[in-house]
Amino acid sequence: MVDWVKLAQRSRLGRRLRLGALSVFLVAVSIPIAVPYIWMVMIAFTARRGMAETGTLWPALLVILVGLGIYGAAMLWLRRERLAIVMGVLTAFLLGLILLGQDLHLQNFRFMVNANIIDDLDGQGTVGERYPWVWEAFANSLLLASTQTVIVVTVSTLAAYYLSRFSFRGRNTFLQSLLVLQAFPAITLVIPIFLIVFWVGLLNTLYAPILVLTALELPFFIFIMKGFFDAVPWDIEMSAMTDGASRREAFWMVVLPQVRVGMIAIGVFAFIKGWEEYVFVNGLRTGESYWVMSTYLYYVREDVMGVDYGMVAAVAVLYVLPALILYLFCQKYLTQMTLGGVKG
Amino acid sequence: MAQIELKALQKAWDDAVAVQDMNLTIQDGEFVAILGPSGCGKSTTLLMLAGLYLPTGGDILFDGTRVNEVEARHRNVGIVFQSYALYPNMSVLQNILFPTRSQQTPDAEKRAREMAEMVQINQLLERRPSQLSGGQQQRVALARALIKRPNLLLLDEPLSNLDATLRLTMRAEIRRITRDLGVTTILVTHDQLEATTMADRVVCMNAGRIEQIGRAEDLYLRPDTLFVAGFIGSPPMNLISLPHPLIEVPSIARTFGLRPEALRPAETGLPAQVTHFEPMGREVLTTVQTPLGLLRFLEAGTQPRWQVGDSLHLTHARDDAILFDGTGARIPNATALMTEQGYA
Amino acid sequence: MKATRQRFDAFLFLGPAVVLMLAFFVAPIVVNILVAFSDMNQTVRFEEFPTTKQFNKLGKLDPEAFWGIELRGSFYRALALTASFVLLTLIIFNVSFALILALTTTAVPERMGAVFRAIWLLPRMSPSVVYALLWLWVVDSAERGLLNQVWLLFASEPLNLRLDHPMAVIVVANGLIGASLGMIIFTSAIRSIPEHLFNAARVDGAGPLSIVRHVILPALRWPISYITIYQALALLVSFEYIFLIMGPARSTMTMAMLSYTKTLAPGIGGGQYAYGASIALILIVVGIAVALLMWRLINMKSLLQRPRIEVN
Repeated sequence: MVDWVKLAQRSRLGRRLRLGALSVFLVAVSIPIAVPYIWMVMIAFTARRGMAETGTLWPALLVILVGLGIYGAAMLWLRRERLAIVMGVLTAFLLGLILLGQDLHLQNFRFMVNANIIDDLDGQGTVGERYPWVWEAFANSLLLASTQTVIVVTVSTLAAYYLSRFSFRGRNTFLQSLLVLQAFPAITLVIPIFLIVFWVGLLNTLYAPILVLTALELPFFIFIMKGFFDAVPWDIEMSAMTDGASRREAFWMVVLPQVRVGMIAIGVFAFIKGWEEYVFVNGLRTGESYWVMSTYLYYVREDVMGVDYGMVAAVAVLYVLPALILYLFCQKYLTQMTLGGVKG
Repeated sequence: MAQIELKALQKAWDDAVAVQDMNLTIQDGEFVAILGPSGCGKSTTLLMLAGLYLPTGGDILFDGTRVNEVEARHRNVGIVFQSYALYPNMSVLQNILFPTRSQQTPDAEKRAREMAEMVQINQLLERRPSQLSGGQQQRVALARALIKRPNLLLLDEPLSNLDATLRLTMRAEIRRITRDLGVTTILVTHDQLEATTMADRVVCMNAGRIEQIGRAEDLYLRPDTLFVAGFIGSPPMNLISLPHPLIEVPSIARTFGLRPEALRPAETGLPAQVTHFEPMGREVLTTVQTPLGLLRFLEAGTQPRWQVGDSLHLTHARDDAILFDGTGARIPNATALMTEQGYA
Repeated sequence: MKATRQRFDAFLFLGPAVVLMLAFFVAPIVVNILVAFSDMNQTVRFEEFPTTKQFNKLGKLDPEAFWGIELRGSFYRALALTASFVLLTLIIFNVSFALILALTTTAVPERMGAVFRAIWLLPRMSPSVVYALLWLWVVDSAERGLLNQVWLLFASEPLNLRLDHPMAVIVVANGLIGASLGMIIFTSAIRSIPEHLFNAARVDGAGPLSIVRHVILPALRWPISYITIYQALALLVSFEYIFLIMGPARSTMTMAMLSYTKTLAPGIGGGQYAYGASIALILIVVGIAVALLMWRLINMKSLLQRPRIEVN
């Protein structure tokens, strides 16, 4: 006789044990990633004497854990998502207020209103007046990232459409060379790129990193976009053309709206890349001709660390925020990218 | 509306010939079906008629004028694809209006509504294509193809994505609409039932060539070639290679063909043993083993008259036999019979 | 007239991409080859072209030596460091751990898995300078370092990882970022396995582990080869995180680091362009070879599929 009830119990128990073990494992391996970021935020908002203290980190972790616990428990017992979120956030907020309330302050962000960050460092600063106001670097980063994004999305979309939809002599050779470039480790070219940029007189201008980053990203993004164009059914373009549209009108009115997701995805990637770029920005300037956020943070860290951790952390928070916000909001587009042409 | 003429039309790729030496005249207002297995060149022909492929030889004439190089958007043809190819970023109404965009006629929207009424989708005009069922999408595609009063309506396997009941309805519906509008129509299909029920004339193609042009019953009763004989008719014709001692024929004949309904059980005749039977509604298809190989015959009736293993004799009328020579062409006015020897 | 428009279309659509890539991608490859055979330094002038001087700094021909080349000490060191850095990071994190993450995050409920994947993508999405900064704080040799705060609960002496275990630092720092790419690729490959395969396996009595072994892993064959090759190449040439975390420390002077610090690295870059270019040339040759190897993983037929509209 098979004892079905017992069998069912056993498999239910097994499922729960497995889920529990997997959860514990995932939490354990994710803590080392998440905690430093939490610490950075805590230093930025609580450090007072310029020291990197962990005094507020542990209570903060406790607050987060309790919040998550409440959320989990609410999900388990009440099974109502929104309520559980509200309860978790509310508990965390209240507990945070009690445990950390008097520690929180915005003093470390004073560089955002003070043009000269060196003036009122905690401790003594000896670095002189090399730094611009942080918003100048912020604006440059924004300019670099967004210009680069617009160019790379436009250029790669146009090229990918042509490669996907038109036949011309040398198409296969072109695609195969592009494939080599796509896999090519572009970072090895930093030296000759520096020389070329120097020779054409773009050294120490923002044009240099914009053009260079665009060119280096193009092969990869062209392949991503070609994948999206290849997925648009031919019938639709054929319909548009028999319906009186020219090839270009068909591209603009019918095909382009269907690859919107792809354009957003590569746009987000390009923006984050331009926003975080360090090597090509730093390598393509001599002296301090222009500042972007990556060089700003790099030198602030070199010069001020050990003097005012709070401010370094605050600069880092300001720097990391736009990229993370963009990433969180556009995550669903990013997951729709496939590596063009890789065998499944 | 237009009279369409294809003269020695040819389409060759680098490595293969898709269509060769195609001659066909379609009268104004006629409904012609191009029927053939996949890869026979029927879709290539259709895309050449639409102006999306360029012929590599021969001419396409609309009302006597050569249009080979005229672009798709200037040919004034309407097209419905198997996938319907609706523009997903536009509403139903916008889809139907798309072909009238360049004409700027003030009553375009009124006409779109008339079209929508004709194909019975006037309730759905604000929807997006993704919110429609397959049958509804099919109707939208039809309305869009017809709104600009095309010279020529092209239907590329339009019913293949529909379920069986809907297919029956749409067959009648499409026939009614094209007849009402008097539009010259070319249907491309691999489904012989679709071709024979809808079209005035059927063009049967194989391997890039026209095998036969004619009314449905011509193709069925008097197939010009061995290919047509084998392709048209369901269940297919019995075909026996010649010479065979049991069959008495003119010496040039190489294949002997007999429709399943031409064979009937008799007191004497070809000895046969039942191996398999399939009730098909009002008829029963029986497969038998004979000295000539496996043969199939059809009998009226809802219940099988035989059981597997039964022995019986088969006979047929001398006129029902169809004979083909070594090139696969039908030998006109030839008759044949399974010989006396076979009646033993 | 038609041909003119066709040419204009090609110009309009492909032109900008071609110009940009020629100027800043293809031309640099050529320039790098030329510079590697010169003696260019601070002055940025081609001197003594052509010469193999730079390569003589890396090693000299010696019929006695293994493979006929005797490597100079510093370059030999760089080679050995590169090899262990690439292999350790690749094997431990970029492939194995990525696979584990993909398997575990797809085995738990969908939303939960997505949260953990988002956490693991955090390092990849945050700017390299920020990520490096966090590392410096975590492994700080003083007692305030995050790692030491935990470590000192169990031990009495603080750790100084950057000094004592530099290889471990750069392997883990690169690995935590590298694992996320494999995780994403493998996850989407697992997703694209048809549901009925899992169901069939379950009906046939397969437990979770044998589903992994007989259903999932076979489906991941191509993605795993792809990630292995792609990431090996990426690690071979990567120096950004090593430089930002370790600075020009000799203990982590891989080939890519050597090339960078001898030329452009801020503050210490020596401007020995030709020397840097010669090392880069070695990496470039390896890079092209690996890129060609990756052709085998690409579905050429679908890539080169013929366009279906012939008129423009």
